[in-house]
Amino acid sequence: MTQDMRLDGGLVDRSRTISFSWNGKTMQGYQGDTLAAALLANGVKLVGRSFKYHRPRGIFSAGSEEPNALVQLRKGAYQEPNTRATVAELFEGLEATSQNHKGTLEFDFLAMNDLASPFLSAGFYYKTFMWPRAFWEKVYEPFIRSAAGLGALSGETDPDVYDKGYLHCDVLVIGSGPAGLSAALAAGRSGAEVLLCDEDNVFGGRLNAETFKVGGTSGVEWARNAVAELEVMDNVRIMSRTTVYGAFDHGIYGALERKTDHLRSANGKPRNIAWKIYSGRAILCAGATERSIAFGNNDRPGVMLAGSVRAYANRWGVATGKSIAVFTNNDDGWRTASDLVEVGANVAAVIDSREIEPFMNIPGVSVTVGAGVCDTTGRKALKSVTLTTGQTLDVDCLAVAGGWSPNVHLTCHQRGRPSWREDIAAFVPGGDLPPGMSVAGAANGVYGTRACLVEGRAAANAAVKELGFTASRKGADKAEDEPANITAYWHVKESTKRAWVDLQNDVTTKDVKQAEQEGFRSVEHLKRYTTMGMATDQGKTANVLGLAIMAEARGKSIPETGTTIFRPPYSPVPFGALAGRSKGKDFQPYRITPSDKWARENGASFVETGPWLRAEWYVKGDEKGWRDSVDREVIETRKSVGICDVTTLGKIDIQGRDAAKLLNMAYANGFAKLPVGKTRYGIMLREDGICMDDGTTARLGENHFVMTTTTVNAVAIYRHLDFIRQCLYPDWDVHIMSVTDSWAQYAVAGPNSRNLLYKIVDEEFDLSNEAFPFMACADITICGGIPARLFRISFSGELAYEIAVPSRYGDSLIRILHKAGKEFNVVPYGLEALSVMRIEKGHAVASELTGQTTAQNLGMGRMISKKKDCIGNILSEREYMNSDEIWNLVGLQPVDKAMKLDGGSHFINKGDAPRMDTDLGWMTSVAYSPTLGHHIGLGFVKAGSSRMGDVIRAWDGVRKKDVEVEIVSAHFFDPDGERLRG
Amino acid sequence: MVDFTLEPKAVLDGFDKIWNSTRLRELTELAAVAVSVPKDGAVALNQKLKAAYGRNVPAAGESFIGKGNTRVMSFAKDQFMILFDHAAHSGIPIVEKKLGNTGYYVEQTNNWVFLELSGPQARAALERVCPVNTHVDKFTVNRAERTNIEHMGTVLCRTGDDTFLIMSASSTAGSFLHALETSMDYVSQ
Amino acid sequence: MIINHPLLGPRDSSEFYHLGDATLIDRPNREDVNAAEAFYEYLYVRDNPAGKYCELWYHEQGDRSWLVVTRDTTTHEISEVKLASDEARARGRSV
Repeated sequence: MTQDMRLDGGLVDRSRTISFSWNGKTMQGYQGDTLAAALLANGVKLVGRSFKYHRPRGIFSAGSEEPNALVQLRKGAYQEPNTRATVAELFEGLEATSQNHKGTLEFDFLAMNDLASPFLSAGFYYKTFMWPRAFWEKVYEPFIRSAAGLGALSGETDPDVYDKGYLHCDVLVIGSGPAGLSAALAAGRSGAEVLLCDEDNVFGGRLNAETFKVGGTSGVEWARNAVAELEVMDNVRIMSRTTVYGAFDHGIYGALERKTDHLRSANGKPRNIAWKIYSGRAILCAGATERSIAFGNNDRPGVMLAGSVRAYANRWGVATGKSIAVFTNNDDGWRTASDLVEVGANVAAVIDSREIEPFMNIPGVSVTVGAGVCDTTGRKALKSVTLTTGQTLDVDCLAVAGGWSPNVHLTCHQRGRPSWREDIAAFVPGGDLPPGMSVAGAANGVYGTRACLVEGRAAANAAVKELGFTASRKGADKAEDEPANITAYWHVKESTKRAWVDLQNDVTTKDVKQAEQEGFRSVEHLKRYTTMGMATDQGKTANVLGLAIMAEARGKSIPETGTTIFRPPYSPVPFGALAGRSKGKDFQPYRITPSDKWARENGASFVETGPWLRAEWYVKGDEKGWRDSVDREVIETRKSVGICDVTTLGKIDIQGRDAAKLLNMAYANGFAKLPVGKTRYGIMLREDGICMDDGTTARLGENHFVMTTTTVNAVAIYRHLDFIRQCLYPDWDVHIMSVTDSWAQYAVAGPNSRNLLYKIVDEEFDLSNEAFPFMACADITICGGIPARLFRISFSGELAYEIAVPSRYGDSLIRILHKAGKEFNVVPYGLEALSVMRIEKGHAVASELTGQTTAQNLGMGRMISKKKDCIGNILSEREYMNSDEIWNLVGLQPVDKAMKLDGGSHFINKGDAPRMDTDLGWMTSVAYSPTLGHHIGLGFVKAGSSRMGDVIRAWDGVRKKDVEVEIVSAHFFDPDGERLRG
Repeated sequence: MVDFTLEPKAVLDGFDKIWNSTRLRELTELAAVAVSVPKDGAVALNQKLKAAYGRNVPAAGESFIGKGNTRVMSFAKDQFMILFDHAAHSGIPIVEKKLGNTGYYVEQTNNWVFLELSGPQARAALERVCPVNTHVDKFTVNRAERTNIEHMGTVLCRTGDDTFLIMSASSTAGSFLHALETSMDYVSQ
Repeated sequence: MIINHPLLGPRDSSEFYHLGDATLIDRPNREDVNAAEAFYEYLYVRDNPAGKYCELWYHEQGDRSWLVVTRDTTTHEISEVKLASDEARARGRSV
């Protein structure tokens, strides 16, 4: 197929022919074409099927407002549905296909929906699919899902990469038409940092689609010169293919830059970048979008917007039809006819709805005024149009000029409401703009080129002055103001056939009127009832039309009827771009400990705890399941010695003359009297008396402590301590600093732990039970002078230590500990064995500190000091928190020792039905205890402390289990703590 | 005598890579000590600091290079950090010698990974991950701020027109390096 | 959003943690006669204004200062930002 519809002229590069395929057929276009321009050049009229009725549709517009020409680009995993052909740039080898049809585009089986249209009118979902109820899931929804919707995803993982970024500027200029370029030039000349963004691949906006003169040269040339001037300014950054899609708080804008969509391959670079723009001021120069007029069968391929028909001729050198008629209600429509004649296209007629003298005299073009188009023919391409006069014209393209709507979208993103201007029959930005934003040019309802240049410059000068810059005195370049008179004319009442308002959602004038009759009269109801203004185009060409028809139906003015406002995004933003790099393993950062490499070399399997990766167990030899490894780790540790990486615990350095006061305030139990060289276990409450965290704090000096927090609460506790010291006691002398990452810390536990440590600790340090008893701590040196911190604390219930070294030695220390421990058969143990041993000892962790439980629940109520104030002190005294009926943390063991226990089971008395009112509590932690040879559990039982020895049921409705358990002490193993003190 | 010797290991094994003429490398021989100013102790501390490094504590967000190529950077009220070339694991003894007991010291040498990003693409790479405006007129040489990069707490300090010292927690060093490397891969031609 | 930090200038809200009502500064005394009632009021009874609201923000990925931010809940306009420690002193919490 040759490019039969190509005219002379245009801005495409005819020296660079591009081959592409459309539904498998190879075609040619030129560099600079959009897919839509190239299809039109090749005479392709039918490009898709409508959403609901599967009506044949053609290209309607020449920009991002396109409702019809949604196509699929590329193949396989790169396949991208619902792309507007009007903004897809052509590249060599582009494969494009149509979508939303069963069978071929030309013969769509679902076109029968069109015959059923009486049943598919506004609100049909709500009416038709109501009954029978059971049909919704099995029949209706699958039917709707297969019939509706547009393109299809490939089902494969998106192979492209996406990125995000941050941009900063004094002045953001959105749009690069005459107003935008004029604004950017003025702002740039003042020395302010300027960012100019345009969604198009070339700058200039409408100037590229028109034949206007600016500054004594063509508008196109003027735009090129302006861009050249901006490019050499160090303080100006210009970004094409970048849509500013949202206006957010405090001068922040969202923008999507399409980096590689116009290239055959992204070559591993990000396809899109979602930018967050911080601006001092923003000038919206987003231009205007043309709208249609509703008349019978106005959706046929070949019925197009007049400004777009002109753009195809002027910018892309493409005639959109062999014989073109223009239907207008304003002066601008006439320019389409005159420009088309100028480039040699065949214009049959101009039909103006206004009773006016012909606006122009265009040779060879018949003119009808005071009339409209009321019907069209042609199934897959327009064949003729019928006028209200009864005359029929054989044309294959009808250019409709219904007037221009300013692109006010971004002015509405913070609830700004546009106001109606009857003289231009359009909504313009209201007074309540997002702070820092001003609007210039067509977006502000100013349509003349000269006025756009002047207003753009003025807006920029005002903005830079507010920011403290001196505005440049250089005036705006010269241009004409084109006539743009309009008489509102929304739909052709003489039409008897369906007249479309919203092409994308198949909303007709009848649907709007029906919504009115059924009481859905507010614009928000109109939208939701009819679906007008939804989907990819968000009603850019439809909303005002629909609103006007609603106003007419209600017998009210447009402002009385309402306004539609807009939310971000202005045009679709791919999810990939919003996700950026945050997918797969890059979803969040990982924290790893210094022993990570060693652990991987030694069969560790890892689990995420918060952002940390922790070894959960180490597979040794031919161990078949995790239980084999965990049981072995527990047994060997209790028998001799084991080592566990506890680096992940939060560590906070606390110093100052009032350091002890801070601890006393944060912990429920007292710390002021903790001697130097000692460690103490503490619990922290929230102000409401609920347990927040627990851990040990060591006193390294009179005014120097180091606190440990649980792994996941480290950040929250740091923040909490800062709250106490800044918001409650701002004059205390106390300073905190996170040292979590400074130290690699290992628990060395088991009867041989001291013997192992003796092999690495420098000789001058006495580790004997007398010199370094349970809960002692000290700064020591190991391996010949390397500083370390040693704490005699135990989570396992064994004689145990935690040893910390500067993290750079962490890898080396874990290797040395295992080398030195060989003679004791030392084992590494992971998080799971750690958990088994702590359950055997009845120690609480996050499973017990759930944010619902108190110190009293945990059996630590007596730790709350009554002698001092602390966070949570007063409210923990509330009566119900201290009654005999509260949950108590207890141990549980199965009556039949062979039975397994399950976390989350609920407790009920034998003979009770499992109901809310019989619920006694729940199982928080379970483990198989290799030490005891059966399963054990911890749990909260109502008044459990007074029910030792009672047998109750652990009922699990989810896993369908019901096990008899005996209430026992939570201290299953070595209840007197002889081992850890030994 | 203990028979074992501990070997230090750089967080990122001394990472060093060049994309055309932009370089990202780990600085492995840098010590860092956090200093908190005791209540009512600013005068005494400033006196010592001035004698040792030539200047008072800078305002939050600023840093200076003092004697002995020492960088004193302040990110907060009553708290600053002293960084200097030092191959060992601890900087406190050196700082303590100069400032005596006028401040509260916390060893930070092992808490951070220190990266230097330098070259013509440095700003472009940062632009993809960091919300700070790195325009040289706004984020001037010696400016030092805490911020975030890909959700990770970051210290960003401009040490030259095209050179940045970038610090993050040593436990996230791998993810942090990945973020900066990815940025460099994306922005380099 | 952007918070104009009193020491560091405008900062992106992504650097901050948001806590809530700045009346959390006014923690009652344990020794007060009606301490239980006072703590109940302090913790649970809050205004929820449509308009100016003083709230606590923590510059977690910044200088670790707590700030009292006056924000209009209907527009997000931020009219004042103070260091919480200064505000606490002004409210008589120097002890």
